[in-house]
This record gives sequence, structure tokens and C-alpha cells, in this order.
Amino acid sequence: MSGLTLLQKGILAVLVLALVLPYVGLQDYWLYTLTIGLYYAMLASSWSLLVGYVGRISFAQAAMSGLGAYVAVLTGQLLDLPVLPALAAGVAVAGLFGLFIGWLTLRLHGAYLGLTTIAFGEILRIAVTAEYDITQGSRGLTAPPLWQGAGPVAYYYVFLAAAVGSVLLMLALLRSRVGLFFQAIREDEDGTASLGVNVTLWKALAFAASTAFAGLAGGLYAHFVQLITPSMMSLQEMGYILAMAVIGGFSNVVHAALGGVILQGLLQVLRELGEWRLAIFGAVAILMLRFAPNGLFGSLDAFLRRRR
Amino acid sequence: MTLIAIAEQALNGLIISTFYALIALGIALIFGVLRIVNFAHGELYMLGGYACYMAVTLLGLPPVFGVVFAVILLMAAGMAIERTLIRPIHAGKVDRPDEYAIMITFALSVLLLNLANSVFGPWPQRPRPIFRGIVEFGELIIPGDRLAAASVGALLIAGLMLVLRFTWMGKAVRAVSQDRQAAETFGINITRTSMLAFGAGAALAGAAGALIGPVFNVVPPMGIVPAIKAYIVVVLGGLGSIPGAVVGALILGQVESFATILIPDTTRALAYKDAYGLAVLILVLLVRPQGLFGKRERRA
Amino acid sequence: MPTQLDISNLSKNFGGLRALGGIDLAVDTGELVGLIGPNGSGKTTLLNIIGGYYDASGGSITLDGHRIDGMAPSRLARLGIGRSFQVTKVFKRLTVLENMLVGALADWGLSRRAAEAKARAVLETLTLTRLADQPASSLSGGQAKLLEFGRIMMLDPRIVLLDEPFGGVHPELKRFMYDTIRTWNAAGATIILISHDMGSIFGLCRRVVTLSSGSIIADGDPEAVRNDPAVLEAYLGDHHAA
Repeated sequence: MSGLTLLQKGILAVLVLALVLPYVGLQDYWLYTLTIGLYYAMLASSWSLLVGYVGRISFAQAAMSGLGAYVAVLTGQLLDLPVLPALAAGVAVAGLFGLFIGWLTLRLHGAYLGLTTIAFGEILRIAVTAEYDITQGSRGLTAPPLWQGAGPVAYYYVFLAAAVGSVLLMLALLRSRVGLFFQAIREDEDGTASLGVNVTLWKALAFAASTAFAGLAGGLYAHFVQLITPSMMSLQEMGYILAMAVIGGFSNVVHAALGGVILQGLLQVLRELGEWRLAIFGAVAILMLRFAPNGLFGSLDAFLRRRR
Repeated sequence: MTLIAIAEQALNGLIISTFYALIALGIALIFGVLRIVNFAHGELYMLGGYACYMAVTLLGLPPVFGVVFAVILLMAAGMAIERTLIRPIHAGKVDRPDEYAIMITFALSVLLLNLANSVFGPWPQRPRPIFRGIVEFGELIIPGDRLAAASVGALLIAGLMLVLRFTWMGKAVRAVSQDRQAAETFGINITRTSMLAFGAGAALAGAAGALIGPVFNVVPPMGIVPAIKAYIVVVLGGLGSIPGAVVGALILGQVESFATILIPDTTRALAYKDAYGLAVLILVLLVRPQGLFGKRERRA
Repeated sequence: MPTQLDISNLSKNFGGLRALGGIDLAVDTGELVGLIGPNGSGKTTLLNIIGGYYDASGGSITLDGHRIDGMAPSRLARLGIGRSFQVTKVFKRLTVLENMLVGALADWGLSRRAAEAKARAVLETLTLTRLADQPASSLSGGQAKLLEFGRIMMLDPRIVLLDEPFGGVHPELKRFMYDTIRTWNAAGATIILISHDMGSIFGLCRRVVTLSSGSIIADGDPEAVRNDPAVLEAYLGDHHAA
């Protein structure tokens, strides 16, 4: 393992630990917490795929997770689809919706793009709330379990596999030439186009890829918590995803994913602090953006590299 | 629809427009001078509501002082935010300024919302409004608290317009909005103007929160929806345009007021009420990003 | 030699402003054309239309007889039109090598290994090899210009559009850039060069086209253009370029 940095070795160790966790006497409560953390890991990393690599801001990630969740549950319910195809439908619809947003907003940048994505996300949330006959509105939609008798350990492993699989897929994409195109687009769109890269296509596809992963996360989440409400699509939820990605480090999908798990874990560890926890997370995110834009793990990585 | 009903809807729309304009003007002012969209604006508005609650409910001051207190407090908070979080952008201390500005204000909204949740709790508060009871104009009946809040709001908007038009500070703000570089060569202190603009924008949000809070409720998430309305308004009028924000607010207020009664299926129309403006926002940004009245703007 | 790039009656309006009015320009394969003119005469606008960054308001452009006006910049780049920018557009947070790879990898037929070998070879000729793994943000202004040259080389361009490549460049580096341009040209590439630097233009180009207020007022060999009274007239009132 000589080719790995210290941080990468650490991440591998954490992964191995994650695999054996259910067998070292961890309470179901903590497995539940970690499972939710893995949900956020998928959202934070897929968000950073778009924001950190392509430089396209989006505030619709929570809404896209909700879209995936509602589509997965409703196709299962209305079309009698089994869980796996229904999940796939959620991923596909979220991905296509992302493609649509990405294509519509090709010419928008920065705050304008941020505002447009807020609008798309909020319209979706409002529609889900309003279409009571189908979605049960804010009362919430009940979802079946992934399979009959699936317990906390099973869910934990499913989410672990989904999160690790998602991040590995993202890494594969980013290591390929497409990843290079993404980053070139982030740096300078006109310059990238002048070198023969189809900027339009990759900007739209990046959006689609990011939202498809969010759709997968949302679909799995629905079958785990088994009751979903439109509040999972709210801007407040988006704020937590942003804080997680920023604190972990939004310029790297692995760092962002770690941010998701760790913050969700800390939320439970620091329970006695009540609402103060989220205020603290907000404050830490601000400090990170200001003083350590690469986040906790990005900074740690840089520190470990420098020491060698 | 009777004439009275139409007049009632129009007046309701006008009252709502005043509220929207008050919040939107702050966003426009900040964008004009600093070229950033403040994604924490709704939370500054919320803090205004709590400032009013503290002054009126906890200290027992008359409601008008609630507004004064909110303005002073939020002015100070806004200037502090500009000093610590926003100034580094223009001082070249930030790698990717556009991204930073968006994300830091969004993170600030997370902080402020949850801070309010921690300090004040999630329960709604209802400070005493400036005026209670109803006002009758012939057959037209209007809740007095709304009318009073909107009247004070309209006065504040008029006051702001006068300040921008006639005072030296106002001229500096307008000059920087139009051309940052030219303003600097003419000896305008950009740093001070920026701090002032953010402070004034926050103060406007605070005033709005203090005025509207008692009408509806003061709760930590109270700023989310009004802020989104205000974004719609500023985009409609052209980001950074002060008169555009006022006109945008007038349009949105009327559209929302009448859309809800003109659409036949009322429950559904009401449920989608907040979505109409968002659709307008998307449409304007895609088709005419400079807004209905703004001139072409560089990327933000 | 056959006409490679044929610009015919090309015009461009910005709002009510006429930036280009009826440009006719035929460039043959292997020519090295200088494009000069006072500020605001439409040089960069013309380059931006050829490169696909602006749509023309009227007229046509053909490459080897095929219409190319209205095509996206990326498509034109793959057809072999490379360009540099007045303000360099290097990818600052990517390494120098990665900057080089982007254009090569846009061709899906080329493997990453082959692209990298090619990039290293080009970096060698540009004397940038030791900076290959450095982020492009660490480059000096002149080195960034060189990197832009290198990125164009990766495209094996048939036509190169250069917009003020010598601006703020050290004289020694400038000579190196001259050599690079001549080598490209000798290898068969057509070059259109915009520069305020008359010494460079007259030293390099065998044909100089002068634009003024959106029209071509002179087109010929350097000597003729230099002595053309209309050209002098166009520059009067503007600065007399060195």
C-alpha cells in the first residue's frame, strides 16, 4: 500500500471498521444513525461532484433526493413495481430532471444558477405537498421496507454498499477524461470549448449524474425510514447537506461523503446540546469556507502531505 | 366578482407588495453595491421579528420601538457580517469569490435559523402589533394590523428612496452600484459604502420582520418563504435595481392576490400559490436574466 | 493554393452598433496573415466569429468549401481550428500537463497514454517539462501564453487564430514564440495573427489585413500595407503603434 497517502490508508481502515461494526456489539440505535449518515454521505458527495468539480452551484439536491424517493415509492405503489425496478425508476427520473435543469440553465452562472435551482426545488416540494391525493401531502407517504424482515444490520450494509459504490462510481468518472473535462469547465468554459470539449453536453450530463445519485439516496432512504414527507425536500435540509459537504470538504467527493457520516454521527453524540448542534454546524461551515475551503479532510490531507 | 371583492383583493395585494418590497429592497441594495446575492436575507428578516419580540414582549416597550430596535440591531449585525464574511471577497482573500459568496451566505442562514431555534425555541411568538382592530372604508374591511404595518413599511420605502436620491451616502451607494471602478476613481470609499449597504439592507430586512412578525407569527423558519418571494421580486425587477424591486413587488403582490381567486379549483390554487412566482423567476432568468427593467448585467 | 477559409460578406451587429460590415476575406492553406487595426476596429470580433464564440449577423464562412459559421467552438476546434485568447484562459487549478491533455482527450479515439506521451513531447519543445506537474496557477504570464500555445499544438490545428499572443511577453520569450509560429506555419498550418505589436506583425507575416471601423481597408504584403495612406489615416488619432 505504498502508493497511498496516509489519509487514504486512514479511509481504508475506516471502511474495514465499517464492515465489521455490526459484529462488535454496536447497538441498533447507532446502526440506525450510521445508516442515516450514509444517506447524507451520498447526498453530500453527489452535491460536491457538481459544485466542487464542475463549478455549477445547485440548491436542488435535497429536492432531487425527495424526487427519487417519491418516484420509487409511488411507482412501487401505483404500478406494482418490485423494489429494485422502482428504485431504478427513481434514479432515472431524478437523473432526467437533473438533465432538464442542467440543460435549461446552461447559460446561467453563480447566484443566478443558485436562485434558479432553488426555484426548481421549491416548485417540486410545493407540488409534492399539494398533490395530496397521490402523495398524502405533508401527512407523509408510507413506504414498504426494502424486503420483508429487513433489519437494522441489513439496512446498514445496503446503505454502506450504496454509499461506497456511489462514491467509487463518482471517482471512476472523475478519474476518466470526463473528470478532466468537468474540472476544465469549472476553470474556464470558453477555454475548454476552444480545445474541442463539448461544454454544453458535459455541463448538462454533470447535473444529471449528480441528481441521479441523489435520487438513489432518496429512494433507499424512503424504504429505510418507511415514511417520507415533503420536508425532506426543504431548503433547511439543503442547508444541512451543504454544511456537511463544506465541513468534510466539497472539492473532493470522498471528503464530502465523510463529512456526511461524521456530522450525522455527531448530531447523535451531542444530543444534549439540542438545537445548538445545528447552529454549531452552521458556524463551523462558515469558518471552514472562510479559513479552510478544502474542508476538514482536505486540510488534513494537505497537512499530512506536507509533513512527509 | 363584485367591485368590492376586486378592491379588497387589490388592496390585499398592495399590502403584501409593501412587505415584499421592504425585504427585496435590502437584497437589491446589497446586490447593487456588493454584487452578491444574500442567501441569508430571510434569516435577517426573522431576526428582525425576534428583535421586535424582545423589545415589545420581553421589555414591554411600545410596538413602534420594536421596529426601531430591530432596525438598529440588524444594521449593526449586517455591518458585522459584511466586515467579517463579505469583505474578504473584495479584498481578494478568497479563491473562488462567486462560489464563496453564495455558500457563505447560505451557511449563514443555517447558522442563524438554528441559533434562533436554540435561543428562542421553535414556538411561535406574537408580539403586540402597532395597531389592532379593523379599519373600514365604506364596505371595504381591512385588518388594522396589516394596514398599519404596510403603512409604516411604505413610509420606510419612501424614506429609503429619498436617502438614496438626496443624501451623500445615497449617492455613493448609487454610484458604486452603477460602476464600482468609476466610483472609486471619484474618491468614493468603497469599503465604507459596502459596509453601509449591507447594514442598510439588513436593517430593511429587520424592519420588515419587526413589522410583519406581529401580523403573522415570529418563528425561526419565518424568513424562508418571504426571502424566496423577495428573490422572485428582485429577479423580476432586475437584480440590483431599486425601482425594479418596487415594481417587481407590486406585480408579484397583485399576481398572487388575484391568481388565487381566479383559478376555479380553490384548494389546489391555494396550495400552488407559492409556486407561481417561482415559475416566473425561472422564466425571467432563462429568457431575460437582466429582469424586466434592468440593463444587461455581467455574470454574477 | 486553394482557398481554405473563405469569409464572405460577414457582418456583426451588437444591438444597434455595427461591429463588422461586410467582411470578405479568403485565406489559403499555409498562409500567415496578420490582422491589424486600431482599437475597436473589429479584429477580436472577427476572430470570435470564426472561432464560433459569436454568431454572425450576416454572411458566411466556409472551411474547405463547407459552411462552418454558427458551429459551436468545440466543434470548430475538432475541425482543426485552434485559438488563443487575449487574456489567457489556462485552467489554473489543473496541472500544466492536465491543461495539455484536455484538448487531446476531447478526441475519444486517442488513448490517455498516447495523449500523455504527446503532451510531454510538446511540453519538451516549449521548455515547460519541469513544470508539467505544477498547477497552472504557478505559471508566469509568459509561461501561461506558452501553455496556451501548447494546448493548441495538441489539437494538431490546420488553422490557428492568435489574439494578441505577445502582450506583456518578455522579448526573449517573444522570439521563442516567433519560432513556434514559424514552425507551425512551415508544417502547413494556416495562421491568423492579431497584434498591436507592429514589429512582430511585419516580421512574421507575408500578408497583412487592416481593419478599420469593421471594414477591411487594406490587404496585401507588409510593405504595401505599411505605405498605404488609408492605413496611416486609420491609425491617426489612435495611437501610433511601435
